[in-house]
Amino acid sequence: MIATATTGVNAAPARVPKARKTLLGHVPIESPLYQFHPVTRLIMFIFFGVIPLFIYLPEVNFLLLWVNMGIMRWGRVNINELRKYMPVIFTVAFFMFIVVVLAPGEDPSYTPLDVGPITIYYQPVFFAFAAYWRLIAMLFGTILYFSTNRERDMLVAMRSLRLPFIASYVVGLSIRSAGMFLEDFRTIREAEQARGLDTKAMRLRDQVKLYMMYLVPLFSIALRRADEISNALFARGYTLTGRVGGGGKRADYIRAQYKLRTRDWVLIVSMGLIFVATAIVQMRFGVFSIEYSPLNIYLKQLLGIPG
Amino acid sequence: MEGQASSVWTIEEGEVRKPGIVHVVMLALFTGIGIVVGTFGSLAVPIGFVSAFWPGQAVQSIGSIWYGWWGGIAAGLFPLISNSLSGSAPLPVSIAYLPANILQGMVAGWAFRRWKADPSLKDGRDWGIWILWGSLVPNAIGAAWGSTMLVAFGLITQAAQLTTFLGWFIGNTIPTIVLGSLVLKYVSPLVVRSKAFCKGYWA
Repeated sequence: MIATATTGVNAAPARVPKARKTLLGHVPIESPLYQFHPVTRLIMFIFFGVIPLFIYLPEVNFLLLWVNMGIMRWGRVNINELRKYMPVIFTVAFFMFIVVVLAPGEDPSYTPLDVGPITIYYQPVFFAFAAYWRLIAMLFGTILYFSTNRERDMLVAMRSLRLPFIASYVVGLSIRSAGMFLEDFRTIREAEQARGLDTKAMRLRDQVKLYMMYLVPLFSIALRRADEISNALFARGYTLTGRVGGGGKRADYIRAQYKLRTRDWVLIVSMGLIFVATAIVQMRFGVFSIEYSPLNIYLKQLLGIPG
Repeated sequence: MEGQASSVWTIEEGEVRKPGIVHVVMLALFTGIGIVVGTFGSLAVPIGFVSAFWPGQAVQSIGSIWYGWWGGIAAGLFPLISNSLSGSAPLPVSIAYLPANILQGMVAGWAFRRWKADPSLKDGRDWGIWILWGSLVPNAIGAAWGSTMLVAFGLITQAAQLTTFLGWFIGNTIPTIVLGSLVLKYVSPLVVRSKAFCKGYWA
């Protein structure tokens, strides 16, 4: 009897996670990007997100965009998940160009160009073109980070940079709570559908009204959750300073799980040097100014624009 | 009516209010709500750097009315993340928006405390304060600062600033009035009874 019972029950095989759920999607756990410390990835985010500010050459920003895409591919990010940004990418371009066509400004040095029935001006249009690629390069730096990192990685990076407990706790909880609210939102919608609500049959105005009404239960859930979480934190002895009751420092378990290795230092120092060098050559010598753009020079020659 | 409205803000005799961990938790949760609402808004109807329908501003104004400076901090913090997630503004630009985001959040909180308006919008005076100081003034500040920053970053020309300002102002004001009014009207009665509600600016 005993033998039957022991042989008849088999433990389920342990589930091995194959992918990490990042803030914007899923990335395989064996992605080479995870060989780097979360701090290195955060500094990479700042590097790619900020460096286009010093670069006005559309060619270089276009190259930066491809570097970002290359890193995402190398890091095994599902590029198809970036499709949700397509409307933003196209509407930004449309908005920028429509604005320079409608409001080009009044500068006598601008060169008018007749395109069918409308007149556009070369200088503001090229400026918008260059600004667009700067913006997209910065955006992809941001998308790269959020596509490959979880809130835990952000938390580790902030703790490793010795940010105060309260700051890292607020950022960590706020990102996690965004996920919780999305889950609550789904639950509310499913509960409505289970009661027979058909949103497809509703008029747009009613759909908007319904969307607004979702916020009422969401806020009510937030109020209840704030009480629960603060009571739990109080029960565990957490204080605003991050110190334990006796005044000593609380052990930082999560930070202890990660170590900065040589490859992290090499990448951090390299990015730091490139960043500083780019900022200096642009601010002192204007090397990345729009006037030096090969495309700008070529188009000016083609259209016979002086300067 | 005045007495009833002022009772929401009046500190009772013997009542001790001080900031606690519940406020920090509420700050984080409110930031989370702001991230969700702001990201959806930016992705829903994008018209470039601005959204034709950004309900995030409603969350900013409501936050400062209910939670004072905690709501103001959330108002500054959540666009940094929601703009990044939605792709509507890169990090340096979002950081440049920070002062205006805090200010456009705090204006409503200041006005409601200054004139002792009821967050549940019980009479015409409360509605007037909400529409002027919770919707129109904050969005005018936000749109003016935001469009100036876009010029400063070299992302739009000076000539395009007015068009951007108008798109921004209209795209934020309409959802603020619609969404903000609904939430204030229906959720405020619950909030004012909660521990996290701030009669003052910090507690």
